Amino acid sequence: MNAITMNRRGLFRASAAAAVALSIPVSLPARGQAARNGDALTAYLRIAQDGSITLITPVTEMGQGTHTAHVMLIADELGVPMSAVRTVRVGQPSEPMRRPPGEQSTGGSTGTRAWVVRLRTAAAQAREVLTEAAARRMNVPVAELKAEDGAIVHAASNRSVPIGSLVREAAALPLPEKPTLRPASELKIVGRSQPRIDIPAKVTGRAVFGMDFKVPGMLYACARLAPVYRAELDSFDRASVNGIKGIVDVVPLPRGVAVVAETAWAAIKGAETIAIRFKSTPHDTLDSAAFSERMIAALDQETRAVAKNEGDVDAVLRAAAKTVEAVYEVPYLAHACMETDNATAQVTNDGVTVWAPTQHQDWALAEAARAAGVDPSKVTIHTTLLGGGFGRRYAYEVVGQAVTVARAVNRPVKLFWRREDELAQGYYRPAQVARMRAALDAEGKLTGFWFRAAGPSTVAEFRPGAIQQNGLDPQHVASVADSRYRFGAFRADWVRVDGPPRNWIWRSVGASQNGFFLEGFLDEVAHAAGKDPYRFRRELLAHDARALKVLDLVAEKAGWGTPLPEGHARGIAYMESYGSLCAEVAEVSVGQDGVRVHRVVVVLDCGDIVNPDSVEAQLMGSVVQGLSATLGEAITLKNGAAEQRNFDTYPILRIDRAPKVEAHVIRSGQGWGGVGEPGVPPLAPAVANAIFAATGRRVRRLPLTAEGLGV
Amino acid sequence: MIALTVNGTARQLDADPDMPLLWALRDLLDLTGTKYGCGIAVCGACTVHVDGVPTRACVTPLAAVAGRTVVTIEGLDPNGQHPVQRAWVEKQVPQCGYCQCGQIMQAAALLKDKPKPTDADIDAAMANNLCRCGTYERIRAAIHRAAELA
Repeated sequence: MNAITMNRRGLFRASAAAAVALSIPVSLPARGQAARNGDALTAYLRIAQDGSITLITPVTEMGQGTHTAHVMLIADELGVPMSAVRTVRVGQPSEPMRRPPGEQSTGGSTGTRAWVVRLRTAAAQAREVLTEAAARRMNVPVAELKAEDGAIVHAASNRSVPIGSLVREAAALPLPEKPTLRPASELKIVGRSQPRIDIPAKVTGRAVFGMDFKVPGMLYACARLAPVYRAELDSFDRASVNGIKGIVDVVPLPRGVAVVAETAWAAIKGAETIAIRFKSTPHDTLDSAAFSERMIAALDQETRAVAKNEGDVDAVLRAAAKTVEAVYEVPYLAHACMETDNATAQVTNDGVTVWAPTQHQDWALAEAARAAGVDPSKVTIHTTLLGGGFGRRYAYEVVGQAVTVARAVNRPVKLFWRREDELAQGYYRPAQVARMRAALDAEGKLTGFWFRAAGPSTVAEFRPGAIQQNGLDPQHVASVADSRYRFGAFRADWVRVDGPPRNWIWRSVGASQNGFFLEGFLDEVAHAAGKDPYRFRRELLAHDARALKVLDLVAEKAGWGTPLPEGHARGIAYMESYGSLCAEVAEVSVGQDGVRVHRVVVVLDCGDIVNPDSVEAQLMGSVVQGLSATLGEAITLKNGAAEQRNFDTYPILRIDRAPKVEAHVIRSGQGWGGVGEPGVPPLAPAVANAIFAATGRRVRRLPLTAEGLGV
Repeated sequence: MIALTVNGTARQLDADPDMPLLWALRDLLDLTGTKYGCGIAVCGACTVHVDGVPTRACVTPLAAVAGRTVVTIEGLDPNGQHPVQRAWVEKQVPQCGYCQCGQIMQAAALLKDKPKPTDADIDAAMANNLCRCGTYERIRAAIHRAAELA
């Protein structure tokens, strides 16, 4: 598929060996940022003479089901069975594969929604030229033809022509610039649950993840990295691993070494055994308690990083009949993908080839080029399946390590991290604190709200350009500053407090903590106002029919206000993120064995959906991941290093604590919202608010285990 | 040389006897369905059957399986149509899929032991198989379905 070329008008032609094939460009103006940058969102479709259809998909499949959704869109619009469409990835990011801000990446819950119209348009263009070709061949008007089951059908004369046989003629026709998409009434696949195309290989062991990919002659390299964040390599003793059979070399890396061996096991043994020293850092004695104090103290600092300042919130607070104030805190979180970070690299005189489980092909490519000292045009990036993503695999450090080691040993190399390094190298959802103040009038109406967060920046290293002129990292007010709630006078700001670990994007990013902060606090305000938490939120959203519908449906489906078994209670939370509105009600009990979450009802308004079954799966997964973080997950620092090095101390949720999840989707038709992330933010506050309802105890810090409420 | 049977085939492995079965399967026999997740037997991604018993391959040295019978996900059913595999597809269980071979091997062993497991049986048997994507509810449903299919 590397024979795709682009001409100056941005039209694409395949010049692959199978000379005659219909290649359809898709290119529509992108939204927002993209339009300003003059970028386009694009993807490509290829139809061969045997009728097989290839979708060159721009997105990474990490279990969210977007490859299936893409195939559904193409098949339905074109009028072919899903089984006729296969997906491939190109090894080279290119403009058509990029989305705003001009990068080939899969994140921000965009994998399906960013491509829906573009893919359908591509398929509709193909359908129209194929139909035109069939009309000419059959000598009938286009209007009498339909594209169905892989053929162009003329019902009146009971004739049909398979689309593959029309490819040669269709390829000679000009593509319609504005093809007509099928009306909803003609869609037979989209909007109805379809089995995922990637699942059969995932139940037989045939699916190839990054760790599984092999190149002939490949060596294995296991990293051994500094336990203290950012500590540099001081020295290592090569002789300390001499006794281990199969070790080929030890290659220094900026923050550690890679032990290279004939087998993964010898490499691991070497990494565990090697005598290694690291340089000291300014944070060698820092622990989480001290860092937490630093964040709390910062809440009183002046800041320029103001996201919102409407009305005079100070004056409103002074004049209030009643004020509510609370400080909330969340810890660092690790993605803990089941597959640890890895990349396979081959460096030859011709260039660099990398096979990696990556969410960001452009960044992986740039890093490979940097590490190899070659022009980016000499690098090819192949994307394997990912054993979990959740934002972690925007990281590219491991790609550079693999290329460095492959160059050093002059052999193809698979470089991988042990779980111990995976958890300890940063790439965390940053710890954060928030202080919130609310003003209530004599009737218990909210008249003012000040949200202030403090802590490390999510994007300062991830995407420095996203820091605003005033120093604001927008993630730290995300889903708060832009909330649909009417707070009255409203200020939202943030104080930056840098800490040692590298921070990164974690499923739902800023909203992952802001949901807990805002929705936990609003529950407190509701009680201070003497109001039911659901009804109090309704008041704040009274002007917004779409949001009310989400809130009302979750209350209805959860049986809000109806009796529960003794000791059980409900909590509610609502948050909008990634273009979707989401509300959740958690039913919990608190007993000798800690907090039990029995049932979670989720309502998501994501506008429209492609594969309902995948939406349900994503919401179930969001609830479980959100609950996992709420109950027990935390990376804590001791002497500048993570205290958690494996799943025995970083406890991700197990099946015996997984609640029943009931998901309801509202197809409001109001734009395409995300699906993979918006289910996460409401979970923690829904659970915390339910704990309050059950016990009267207000939880303002996570995880619950650290508050004596865990297992 | 260590002799063992893997997926019905007799194998002679010229390897370090302390090499965990996990890495021998993956690197020496090219059976990569068995995954590395933690290396300390707490996540279950490396679950295989040794003489029919679900076993964490990451902490099982080759020396301990000499002369024994190992079944991996690739050998669970010749056509990948074991009732658990069929149920996993029917219920659309996997998301990323990385943990699922271990989940399936654990579930297959459970069903051999308890052909009609309750939710409590499932939770007890499956509690040491982690899934970061959070597919647990569908795992429960699929195990009940596999019990019907068996």
